[in-house]
Amino acid sequence: MTFSSALGRCGAFLAASIAAFGHHAYTAEFDTTKPVKLTGVLAKVEWSNPHIWIYLDVKDDKGNVTNWGFSASPPGMLIRRGITKNSLKLGETLTVTGHRAKDGSNNASGNVVTFADGRDALIGQDQALNPTEAK
Amino acid sequence: MRFAVAIAAVASCAVAQKIPRLPDGKPNFSGVWAGPAFTHVVGANDTDTPRVTNFDRSKMATFLPGAEARFYQPPTGNPRHDDPTELCLPDGHPREALAPYAQQIVQTSDTVVFLYEYMHFFRVIPIGKPHPQDVDPTFMGSAVAVWDGDTLVIDTVGLREWTLSASNGWHSDALHTIERLRHLDSTTVSYAITIDDPKIFTKPWSQEFQMKLHPTWTLLEQVCEENNRCEGGKCTASDPQGATK
Repeated sequence: MTFSSALGRCGAFLAASIAAFGHHAYTAEFDTTKPVKLTGVLAKVEWSNPHIWIYLDVKDDKGNVTNWGFSASPPGMLIRRGITKNSLKLGETLTVTGHRAKDGSNNASGNVVTFADGRDALIGQDQALNPTEAK
Repeated sequence: MRFAVAIAAVASCAVAQKIPRLPDGKPNFSGVWAGPAFTHVVGANDTDTPRVTNFDRSKMATFLPGAEARFYQPPTGNPRHDDPTELCLPDGHPREALAPYAQQIVQTSDTVVFLYEYMHFFRVIPIGKPHPQDVDPTFMGSAVAVWDGDTLVIDTVGLREWTLSASNGWHSDALHTIERLRHLDSTTVSYAITIDDPKIFTKPWSQEFQMKLHPTWTLLEQVCEENNRCEGGKCTASDPQGATK
């Protein structure tokens, strides 16, 4: 799969429950009852293991800016899908969906990123919880 | 009926002739593979899609009396119990085989080596030798292999009590696995694994996956401790934003 084909195949995953991250149990860190969808300017990318982190400066109605961190897939998983570090450009306006960290901090999982031109890409886990896999 | 059997035999023979082989004639599994935890929909630039993969509960044998509670242990909030990999502890065998990362096989006439990208684990497996007499339990266990025709059969014992897969439960220290690798064509391998845990299940059970050869891939570095965060859901404590921004 190329990056372009990875784009735009994300809608079905937005409502999916998530079984596990590439590294560990997703639900141990993120609250799947607290979905987030935030738009902001990409301020930093940590292209590192065990998960990449991207940071958005998110402006509220009063102009206050809050920095949010999003944990996505590991570099290796993204590279195998055709998504590289260069796919994410600092200064771009992005919308990211995911689930908020269990500690209530300004951190979340990053599952799908939508670019200003409407393209979207799956940067988190791409699977629904298979009923046969869980108790 | 006879015609169908003949067709199947011809097809099987064609596969046997086309698969890569070592100079000694044995099938050669050497190369970098997308393992069981990929969709194997190969796209442009030799891409594939990793997918966190677990054992299918419908394939599992029934539990021994009381063993289901030992297998499905409820979360406690302690990462070491709930998912040790959250602390960058090993996933162990067989969970490593189902990790959504590439794996490389290096094979000689008497040894097969698995190099797993995830956490840089490896298995050096002698072919045709018995298990050592006294095996200390470890994360990856003691593995030996034999040939069954063109199928490589890997027998693993000596596994410590640990997680069976990313979303399944805990196996016991009596776990014994049998993996069977067989070419379906020159770039596709059937990976069938039997889970034999006499302290958890009433009988052994098996599940079959596939592996896909990716000639352009090389193993990537994967250092779990590099930027591990949010252990136990506490993202703030180890949050590097303030220090690095």
